[in-house]
Amino acid sequence: MSGEEIFYLSVSELAKRIESKKLSPVDLTQTYLDRSQKLGPRFNAYAHLTPEIALEQAKAAEKEIQRGHYRGPLHGIPYAAKDLLAVKGVPTTWGAKPYADQVFDYNATVIDHLSRVGAVMLGKASMIELAGGMGYRFASASLQGEAKNPWDTTCWTCGSSSGSGAIVAAGLAAFAIGTETWGSIICPSAYCGVSGLRPTYGRVSRYGAMSLAPSMDKIGPMARSAEDCARIFAAIAGHDPKDRGTVPIDKGAFTYSPSMELHSRPLKIGWLTNAWKSLEPSVAKPIEAATRLLKKYFSSVKDVALPVGPWEDAGGTIVAVECAASFRSLIRSGRVNELTDPLGQIAGYVNEQYSATDYLQALKVREIAQKKMDSLFEAFDVIATAAQPVPATPLSLNLETGLVFPDPLGGIGNICGLPAMSVPCGFTEKNLPVGLQFVGRAGDDFAVIQAGRTFQSHTDWHKRHPKIH
Amino acid sequence: MGNKSDSAISRREFARRAAFVSAAASLAPSNLLNTESLTTPLQAQQPANAPKLSPEGQTEVEARIQSIFAQYGSRFSDAQKADIRRLATEAQPSLERLRAFTTDNGAGPGLYLKPLMEREKKPSPTAATPKPASAPKNS
Repeated sequence: MSGEEIFYLSVSELAKRIESKKLSPVDLTQTYLDRSQKLGPRFNAYAHLTPEIALEQAKAAEKEIQRGHYRGPLHGIPYAAKDLLAVKGVPTTWGAKPYADQVFDYNATVIDHLSRVGAVMLGKASMIELAGGMGYRFASASLQGEAKNPWDTTCWTCGSSSGSGAIVAAGLAAFAIGTETWGSIICPSAYCGVSGLRPTYGRVSRYGAMSLAPSMDKIGPMARSAEDCARIFAAIAGHDPKDRGTVPIDKGAFTYSPSMELHSRPLKIGWLTNAWKSLEPSVAKPIEAATRLLKKYFSSVKDVALPVGPWEDAGGTIVAVECAASFRSLIRSGRVNELTDPLGQIAGYVNEQYSATDYLQALKVREIAQKKMDSLFEAFDVIATAAQPVPATPLSLNLETGLVFPDPLGGIGNICGLPAMSVPCGFTEKNLPVGLQFVGRAGDDFAVIQAGRTFQSHTDWHKRHPKIH
Repeated sequence: MGNKSDSAISRREFARRAAFVSAAASLAPSNLLNTESLTTPLQAQQPANAPKLSPEGQTEVEARIQSIFAQYGSRFSDAQKADIRRLATEAQPSLERLRAFTTDNGAGPGLYLKPLMEREKKPSPTAATPKPASAPKNS
């Protein structure tokens, strides 16, 4: 194995080496830190590194493992956390200038969970300012600058978990934590050629995370494989009394072992016929190839259409209102003008004007959408489509005018809190990754993981990585 | 893709399209409804390529804009004011689609999202067979 290859090993492969004491968590952490210090700025991937924390955690992990106390597959594994997760004593900027000096005196629940299983935090991943809640016109809408795609640095990583995508794709950490209100895990995972899991709403505590739209915010892993996502999800999922949005104890926890798949059910796939108006030809080709594989390796694949309704309109209204409420003081104080993006500086004022009746109408529409989607999942275990209709876009693209297309699945999936996963399924002729998306019934995160695992057991797209020198 | 349409909504735009509303009309000071902006021909104020709105929709948009300008107007440059006007206008069709969707009087708004994880297992008439492909109305 070349020196480069170790940076692209999956969590599962690293864990085997660490458990068998063939790989030192301290050495692994130091090599990842060195690489992150050297290459992170090239991609604007990190908000900041935390070498002191990382080495302290790595030394503790190594000591425990040497004593025979192995905590599990994340023990000694280095990761990055999106910079909207509070870490005690460390700046948490939310990617935005008004919060550049913000420091919390407590950890987000997700950070505590990862610490408990022995994972090693390398640093905070860059992100779109305020996770894009105020809107943004350019990829540069971040305190850390535009996140550059490791597959082509003239292209964007997508947002808002932009640094998380770049970090995993560039082999700067074994995995990263991202968040999604609407598309912020699925899109960067697709653009960056990594595997990303958006869990069911409420399965991962948001305590200590920046609140954008509390009824839609979700936290999930971005990693090298669906299996890695499952292992990370198992560590961070669960009820949390500090987050009233988390589901009850008996519904929140998630356990995973590869042997579970031996007993898993054959998956019935619904291939969505109306998720995208059209696919860019360079994306359509790998997606067509992926559908052929689905038909070969899944128990059934049948066409299905999403129910028709104003799901995006409802989602947009919910996000706008809840975001305006979350950042009310920022808007009212005028400090919103300190945001980098020209759209972000003004959209909050518009969002403030939404009426209570329209917001409640959106919530009614949400309930109708939930029932329609639950009915749809009586016939299918997961529904599938392209993760995005286009590959990674140029850094300079005006997103308001150059990247406009309907996204009914993103709308309905996020307002209903449905789990989703994006896995790499090929490349364009310009060698940009293309993602395949699986969406499952609320609570059935295992189905989307199983779908991703099954697809990846017959393909090696997820093992490809960009050449970085 | 460039397939922009009046109903097209980008995921990245969820805050951009965020714009407006009806209740704000009733909340706006009545004197704002008589301000210069409403005495000026509406056509002259609409941004280029703006969605075509009904007179009621346009009036509603104008009320929202005036509400923002009355409260925060001194903060904005002329370019920002024009952008706010554009955002407010572009958001109106989305709100009108949302309002037009029929909901029952007894339909409960999910005041806090509770994923349907505790549903009863029962046959669903709409799920017996996959639906044929069809394009959504709004895409």
